Amino acid sequence: MKSTFYSALFAAVVTLILTCLMLGVNLKTEGIALTVSMASEGTWSMIIGAVLAVFLFQLFREKLADMINLPSLPSADHFIPEGKKGEKLKQLAISFVIAGMIIWPFFASRGAVDLATLTLIYIMLGLGLNIVVGLAGLLDLGYVAFYAVGAYTYALLSLYYDVSFWVALPICGALAALFGFLLGFPVLRLRGDYLAIVTLGFGEIIRILLNNWTEVTGGPNGISRIPKPDLFGLEFSRRASEGATTFHDFMGISYNSSHKVIFLYLLAVLLVIVTIYVINRLTRMPIGRAWEALREDDIACRSLGLNPTVIKLTAFTMGASFAGFAGCFFASRQGFISPESFVFIESAIILAIVVLGGMGSQLGVILAAIVLTVLPELAREFQEYRMLMFGLLMVFMMAWRPQGLVPMKRPHLELKTNE
Amino acid sequence: MLEQLLYFVQQLLNGLTIGSTYALIAIGYTMVYGIIGMINFAHGEIYMIGTYVTFIVIAGLAYMGLESLPLVFTAALLVSMAVAASYGFAIERVAYRPLRGQTRLLALISAIGMSIFLQNFVRLSQGSRDIAMPSLITGGWTFGDPSSFEASLSYMQVIIWVVTLVTMAALTLFITRSKWGRACRACSQDLGMTNLLGINANNVIALTFVVGAALAAVAGLLLGLYYGVVNPYVGFIAGLKAFTAAVLGGIGSIPGAMLGGLLLGVTEAMTSAYFSSEYKDVVAFSLLVLVLLFRPWGLLGKPEVEKI
Amino acid sequence: MTTIKKHLIGLSVSAMMLGAASAQAEIKIALAGPVTGPVAQYGDMQFIGAKMAIEQINKAGGVNGEQLEAVVYDDACDPKQATAVANKVVNDGIQLVVGHLCSSSTEPASDIYEDEGVLMITAASTSPTITEKGYQLVFRTIGLDSLQGPFAAKHVVDAIKPQRVAVIHDKQQYGEGLATSVKSELDKAGVNVVMFEGVTSGDKDFSALIGKLKKENVDFVYYGGYHPELGLILRQSREKGFNAKFMGPEGVGNPDITAIAGEASEGLLVTLPNSFDQDPKNADLVAAFKAKNEDPSGAFVFPAYSAVQIMADSIKAVGSVDTDAMAKHMRATTFSTPTGDLAFDAKGDLKEFSFVVYEWHADGSKTAVK
Repeated sequence: MKSTFYSALFAAVVTLILTCLMLGVNLKTEGIALTVSMASEGTWSMIIGAVLAVFLFQLFREKLADMINLPSLPSADHFIPEGKKGEKLKQLAISFVIAGMIIWPFFASRGAVDLATLTLIYIMLGLGLNIVVGLAGLLDLGYVAFYAVGAYTYALLSLYYDVSFWVALPICGALAALFGFLLGFPVLRLRGDYLAIVTLGFGEIIRILLNNWTEVTGGPNGISRIPKPDLFGLEFSRRASEGATTFHDFMGISYNSSHKVIFLYLLAVLLVIVTIYVINRLTRMPIGRAWEALREDDIACRSLGLNPTVIKLTAFTMGASFAGFAGCFFASRQGFISPESFVFIESAIILAIVVLGGMGSQLGVILAAIVLTVLPELAREFQEYRMLMFGLLMVFMMAWRPQGLVPMKRPHLELKTNE
Repeated sequence: MLEQLLYFVQQLLNGLTIGSTYALIAIGYTMVYGIIGMINFAHGEIYMIGTYVTFIVIAGLAYMGLESLPLVFTAALLVSMAVAASYGFAIERVAYRPLRGQTRLLALISAIGMSIFLQNFVRLSQGSRDIAMPSLITGGWTFGDPSSFEASLSYMQVIIWVVTLVTMAALTLFITRSKWGRACRACSQDLGMTNLLGINANNVIALTFVVGAALAAVAGLLLGLYYGVVNPYVGFIAGLKAFTAAVLGGIGSIPGAMLGGLLLGVTEAMTSAYFSSEYKDVVAFSLLVLVLLFRPWGLLGKPEVEKI
Repeated sequence: MTTIKKHLIGLSVSAMMLGAASAQAEIKIALAGPVTGPVAQYGDMQFIGAKMAIEQINKAGGVNGEQLEAVVYDDACDPKQATAVANKVVNDGIQLVVGHLCSSSTEPASDIYEDEGVLMITAASTSPTITEKGYQLVFRTIGLDSLQGPFAAKHVVDAIKPQRVAVIHDKQQYGEGLATSVKSELDKAGVNVVMFEGVTSGDKDFSALIGKLKKENVDFVYYGGYHPELGLILRQSREKGFNAKFMGPEGVGNPDITAIAGEASEGLLVTLPNSFDQDPKNADLVAAFKAKNEDPSGAFVFPAYSAVQIMADSIKAVGSVDTDAMAKHMRATTFSTPTGDLAFDAKGDLKEFSFVVYEWHADGSKTAVK
């Protein structure tokens, strides 16, 4: 009891030191002079309240823990039925979800559809990074570089050569993949944290180069008026550009601006479905198995005759190509890109999506992307506190459920014992 | 000719100062990494908090009419170290301890989250504007001919070098000679075994974070006074560079952090001096990639031995 | 399923509320800009100006008997969030926007507003490209970089006549745009520009750059960017014994630069819009800001006030919130506002916007240079 009291007292003192200066005192520049002032009484009573709360909590922690057993998240196993029957059910569920996603935008509000499109972009990025981090176990902190490559490829192609979205899309993917391949070479020998910092540096290099190369990329001005994608040559704008037809003229309906938003959304859905399908197939192919083997045990992998160099390179290349597709779509949706959109914090958010979802798990990544993009929007009333909450969420998720929202499930066999 | 030489010397001095500031922060990174093998991504934020506390103490004392420099410095140093140490302790408790034994990646994410949290916590409590403080220590030496090119070296620059060297030496002594240092080294080799030998590994790791944070506070105080400006975002930028310096020198090695920092600083200054400051970050990161290509464990780091 | 139901109920409730709101007859104006992020302080300038205008117009009986209501949207100066904000504004049925602040946010957002018939007036974005697209519904109540740059260059050529000039910028849209325009004007006038270089915004150490300026014997530096970097450059120049004349745009013209640079800010030249808060005509308005404990000296406070007032005047003239008609009215009319008599050209820019060169002093005050 005595030791609990002292540790509680210690915790309370630490809390007081943490808060009293940083919260309780405000630095301000008044005119040109630096001044300090005490924070309002409300703040101080909150500080004292927090200190007391920490003290009491630490004092009675054990008793509290006995009284309330913190509920753990329900295991994801319940949701995914096993066996053959489950497989059929799963297919049915998937078709329902897809159908729902296609029908939904026609009833939802414009803002919601737009937000959903953004979420889908993050899902794509998350799925792509998932290959590198989740499956191959290579920590990449500069993933946003490939996203930038994709976005700038489309923007520059359309600006200088008038290339349409559909032609540019595969080029974006290919070019991003090429960059992934090039980055893959130097990092092959690195592991863990060295890899992290080199990829981070690479991300910064790409951004700074885009920012400095003003003659071509417009530098900090970015590139504006990037055309939106068309549907077999039909444009989604109020007035058609030269020699083109608009969608509403062709269909004989009146112009409705939400058509464009819905079209972009449906396009994103299509891209995401393709991404999921491709990655799903990849993980079942030898190469996908090799990625996971490499993550689990480098040495065992080598002794089985797998070439780690080739495996790492394919992981980087494949992961990068999906970022390229996402970047291409982002550029066309946004209509304007500048290096500001490709800063490190983007990489961190994408990484958070992967880890939050459960590394390697596709369903998890999708859920995490939805949580991380929709949650801040819902919490816009607390605009000021948005990033604060975001940081806290990252910390607590890791402590609370480190395996992610939906942990990855590998196909496996279990011995059943008869009772 | 002399002018060219003086210019080179001036830029070298500038580079060494920039490098020392990186090294000062990098030492904290590298120490925490050396012991528990985890990157404390929030280290830069502790540095930023250290600067804020320094400013608060100095402005507070000035308000009370105390302006004797040694007194003000001692007070600012002690208070900011205490506050930073508490932050280090709390970060370890909240963001690292629950993740002990899990993959490194989780701790890294958690630390990135912590870094975002602290940045915004300070933004909300102290505002996002730059807070500035007049220089307290001014003056320096100049040499060369004023009519052609005059190189200068301020007292503050020298103080930064000296403090960086002293800190590094003190920390090395602490790690190699003291009882706690031995425990730290034991933890870095085998956490489980250390526990079995009757050393409370939890306490040792907490201590590591506390010492690392206190070092960040020293950097916060010194650089806060040198540049005279702080805002909630300085920690992230400085932390990133320091992190690069630590990796360049070989993360986990204290002399490596120093070497990495200086190398990075001089490279940046020379790029600005003879090429263009627009490309200094590109050159700095390229240097990192290049060094790691040939020495994947950094300049002074030890190659990891693969255990089967 | 329950969540979907709840959602539906929520939707219908909000629909009813929307109905109720229109019955109360309120005209909503979206104020879009950074509430969070590193440039939130500039966002504040815009918000307090616009809110003050809305408050005063409402006190005076509103517009055609209807009250104005401000709805603040946060884009954090992030282009991605700016498009999300723009879509939300459209979605919320708001037809008038004062914002955004950063040019890089205004740019993508204006595409959406133009497309959706939303009238936008920015009180802070100075990039020339925004109004170059030939949009009908995009206006601004602040001067362009392409006006400010040549104005500054003219002053340099006529009044300062420097020997060796360096043009430095922060590699951001605002700073680099201005610096480029100043450099090309100086080149045209035959001034010897020996250096044109970018620095990284957020950097703290400019000693290498200063060493270079010193070696090049530069006697005049134009800086395109914001005050935190220039403040440090001035401070470190003083410490390194580099004494050239410095000049910067309105982004550096706020008292914080003196807080950072101290003595070294003495003699700094700044091109600023007329300081509207010094105008005796605006004394009442300044007093109103001071009464609310707000700072009226920010560069975007009064332009934002004018933006709201112009919107209100146009609604009165047209009779309803018909944005196309309002835009037509705005192009044809001269408005009398606290920032002077304003008239728009075909692009949506002010026909006239005058800048003044101020000299900064070590106590944070400024005096106009003749």
